[in-house]
Amino acid sequence: MVSLLYCVTCAFLVILVVGFASSSTIHNNNWAVLVCTSRFWFNYRHMANTLSLYRTVKRLGIPDERIILMLADDMACNARNNYPAQVFNNENHQLNLYGDNVEVDYRGYEVTVDNFMRVLTGRHETSVPRSKRLLSDEGSHILLYMTGHGGDEFLKFQDNEELQSHDLADAVKQMKEKHRFKELLIMVDTCQAATLFSQLQSPGVLAIGSSLKGENSYSHHLDSHIGVSVVDRFTFYTLAFFEKLTMYSNASLNSLFNSYKPNLLMSTAYYRMDLYERPLNEVPVTNFFGSVMTTIHTDSAYKGFASTITKSTDPVKDNGDIFSKDDKHEEGLQNRNLKEQQCSFHVWWKALEKEQGDVFIKYGLISMFAILGLSTLLSAKSTN
Amino acid sequence: MKRILLFLFLAVVLCAPIVVSEEEAETFAEGLFLKPLPDRKLLAHFHFQSQAPDSVANGRHHRVFPKAVAQLVNKFQIRELELSFTQGRWDYERWGSSDSLSNPNAKPPGVELWADFNVPIDQVDVTWKSLTHALSGLFCSSINFLESSAAYTTPHWGFNSNSSNVRYGALPREAVCTENLTPWLKLLPCRDKTGIASLLDRPSIYKGFYHSQKMQLHSTHSGGILLDQTLTVVLQPSESTDNLVSDPLLQPSWSIRSLFRKKAIERCVLAKSSVVYLEIENGLVAELEKLGSIGSWGKFGFELPVTPSRILKPAMNMDAPSPSLLYEYNLIKYSETKPIDLGLRWKVPFSWSCSKAPFHARRFLMGSGNERGSIAISLQSTKSHYSHLNTKVVVFQIVPWYVRVYYHTLKIYIDGEEHNMSSVVEKMQVHPSEDKLSPGTMELMLILPYGIQSAVLTIDFDKGFLHIDDYPPDANQGFDIPSAIISFPDFQASTYFFKEKSAEKQTPLLLKFQEKSTVQSYTEVLLVPLTTPDFSMPYNVITFTCTVLALYFGSLLNVMRRRVDEEHRLLSQAKKQGLIPLLFSKLSLKFRGERLEPAPSSDSTFVNPKLLLKVFVVAIAAVLWHYFLNDR
Repeated sequence: MVSLLYCVTCAFLVILVVGFASSSTIHNNNWAVLVCTSRFWFNYRHMANTLSLYRTVKRLGIPDERIILMLADDMACNARNNYPAQVFNNENHQLNLYGDNVEVDYRGYEVTVDNFMRVLTGRHETSVPRSKRLLSDEGSHILLYMTGHGGDEFLKFQDNEELQSHDLADAVKQMKEKHRFKELLIMVDTCQAATLFSQLQSPGVLAIGSSLKGENSYSHHLDSHIGVSVVDRFTFYTLAFFEKLTMYSNASLNSLFNSYKPNLLMSTAYYRMDLYERPLNEVPVTNFFGSVMTTIHTDSAYKGFASTITKSTDPVKDNGDIFSKDDKHEEGLQNRNLKEQQCSFHVWWKALEKEQGDVFIKYGLISMFAILGLSTLLSAKSTN
Repeated sequence: MKRILLFLFLAVVLCAPIVVSEEEAETFAEGLFLKPLPDRKLLAHFHFQSQAPDSVANGRHHRVFPKAVAQLVNKFQIRELELSFTQGRWDYERWGSSDSLSNPNAKPPGVELWADFNVPIDQVDVTWKSLTHALSGLFCSSINFLESSAAYTTPHWGFNSNSSNVRYGALPREAVCTENLTPWLKLLPCRDKTGIASLLDRPSIYKGFYHSQKMQLHSTHSGGILLDQTLTVVLQPSESTDNLVSDPLLQPSWSIRSLFRKKAIERCVLAKSSVVYLEIENGLVAELEKLGSIGSWGKFGFELPVTPSRILKPAMNMDAPSPSLLYEYNLIKYSETKPIDLGLRWKVPFSWSCSKAPFHARRFLMGSGNERGSIAISLQSTKSHYSHLNTKVVVFQIVPWYVRVYYHTLKIYIDGEEHNMSSVVEKMQVHPSEDKLSPGTMELMLILPYGIQSAVLTIDFDKGFLHIDDYPPDANQGFDIPSAIISFPDFQASTYFFKEKSAEKQTPLLLKFQEKSTVQSYTEVLLVPLTTPDFSMPYNVITFTCTVLALYFGSLLNVMRRRVDEEHRLLSQAKKQGLIPLLFSKLSLKFRGERLEPAPSSDSTFVNPKLLLKVFVVAIAAVLWHYFLNDR
């Protein structure tokens, strides 16, 4: 009887720990994958779109080594470019997007569906350098921005091959399984962009598309000196929203979404939020478009440092608020002590990791109550 | 006594590192070399040299030497490496082809990489592949396309090195832009924040006619590394408005401010030397001497707004008629409070010519159609080198596998007449291409008889087909054949030769111009149009054939399987269907419908019936086991 009760409490505690750990991994870094999929000079605006976003996320604090920039063609030093080494997204030519410090990770013929999937899923050859890899982890917020020519459930790469909505969904699913992100924002500026998200099913994914199925995404204006359109409408109004912001503003994603007016875009912006848990009016845009980390004040630096060390040696995911307050810190320590008491915990953990934590909690609770009730009933009978 | 000994010991221990660091410190030197060109353009050559002493002395720590490069050298055991990013074509006829500036700095368009490894022969290819990936990450470029064995080759003797561990590859179409310059500048200790590199205004550089950015590495056995970074640009100085007399023949005057849109040159404080040179070529000096008396002409032909700190008169060759003139501006001597704006103002129009190689090499395609063609390399005598000896010429050419070269069709025409190959060729090494595996490499040493006007080499090829997936997205543009290298082993590039021995004042830039090298030139990149499939064709074919097949088989099947009599019989039977079977079918339908109803409710995402069942089975088993255990 005692052994049974022990086993039950053991299972209960394990379930509790799992539930606690899986729900709260702290957001601790930001990544951006910016992809321009179009080749040829007349697609100048797609490169300008991507570079505008590149500049914005860099301005809002994501460093170059955490940005994977993919540009399918060379527009800046193109022989047709009247302004060598300069790319503009406005005909007033106020802002050179190419700047002095641009770092392109994949360019030209390297921008293929194959490489794109490799970047997302992290399945590279061993010799591929770190600067070309997306080295995100389970605490990462990733911004994935794509622009080019698309259609119903596909996005063209280099006018040569297509990325299908299934491919994207599979890649995202794999990323989720591999704990490569905590939250992912996919922003796509193509014709019929909304159709690209139809197959997504991984939790923590938020998607914004520039147009619904059957709609086109249009360019904003033509630059007569460059000779081609320089920016797309959706990106233009996105940038107009971000130009007002600094690193410290806390405009929410909701305000970004509300800033898209269908009469200005000439298409209907689409948001897919059913996979996303947090309420959008509480999520600042800098959670994805910038790298703003809250610093938590601790009384003694040494204590916090110690807890991070134990955290790193612990196989369980960190408890998030572990060093926010002293009582929480102690709670964490107690949790850890309890965990250490369990026999063959790692085996349990591995088995549980494959399934969903929430379901296990519920089953565990139900079965525990049932077993407790039955066993007390039986034991009462047997003693009688 | 013990105390004294201890003190002495401590003193020795403490002083030792200081002594070592003074002996073998890492050094950095920067320099800028400016030279007016005969065709009204200006050449600017930036040179940055970083030197790391033997790594044994100071471990892995670096003060001014870039750590990324040191790691690269150590990891891949590089003995020598040269990587260049070039856009535009060097004009050998107008900008010089046999002097120590143009010879090593004129590079083929796109990316060129060669490296010599200090590893066993069987590991060279693996190391090369990893190196291309590492460099592509470091320089934001697609150098990793040189990884495939169809893209690089092993030169034997046609290239300037004789080591068998050398690999050579070129990507003629690689774009060169700001993103390649950014990481290159990050290797400098002062980056582009201050120093001569701060002049590198991106739009000004990329507006030029030619720019070539190069990185050269030499390492010693003991781990010392010498890194030379050069950037050569040919710019068109804009006509200044203050020139009242708008003489069309007058060379355009320029200043640093007008060229680079930067106010002045500052020096990088970490640099050991920081010098700007302005060269007046010996051809121009000869012109100036014609104008007036020697010595005073400097003030007569042109004007320098800033007085140079030193004037050097190096001879370009020992037997040259007149030395060239070198104005040196040592930036250390100019105070930071008074920024200098170097420049040159012309007063009298001049025309002169530059140094020339014995032959001017060109390469072009012959033939028409999408099936075959031939490559021709033409050598035109420039008559600059009068000698009564035969000229030795080495041709090194790589051709991608899809251009199938037939080496037996090699012909040579001397002064327009076909010549016997065996009388001209001294040495020849050919490595024919293998489909998708290796490119065709040809190394050819010719001895051309003296006094000839021209020599033309022709070789025929067939155009191959690629697999449909191997075509690049812009296949219709054509395919590039990398530049061939034509070198003249008997001729040395003219170097600076100082009559007065002033070795203590030699800067790395001047020392570089005194290194000996053979004269060589790169030919044009060839653009071969290949037959490209209509890429939408497979889809058209698939849809069309599927429609035809569906129509054919559908109708055939219909004709073969259809039985008209049977259909009639079945129809008449259906009318006679009794009450019992009808009732039975209705009942079965109803039964099925009822059974299906509860299924969806249990099939929600929350409750999985299988799992629930498992849990219950386990629970019941546990309870039973417990019950039996207690019973006993």
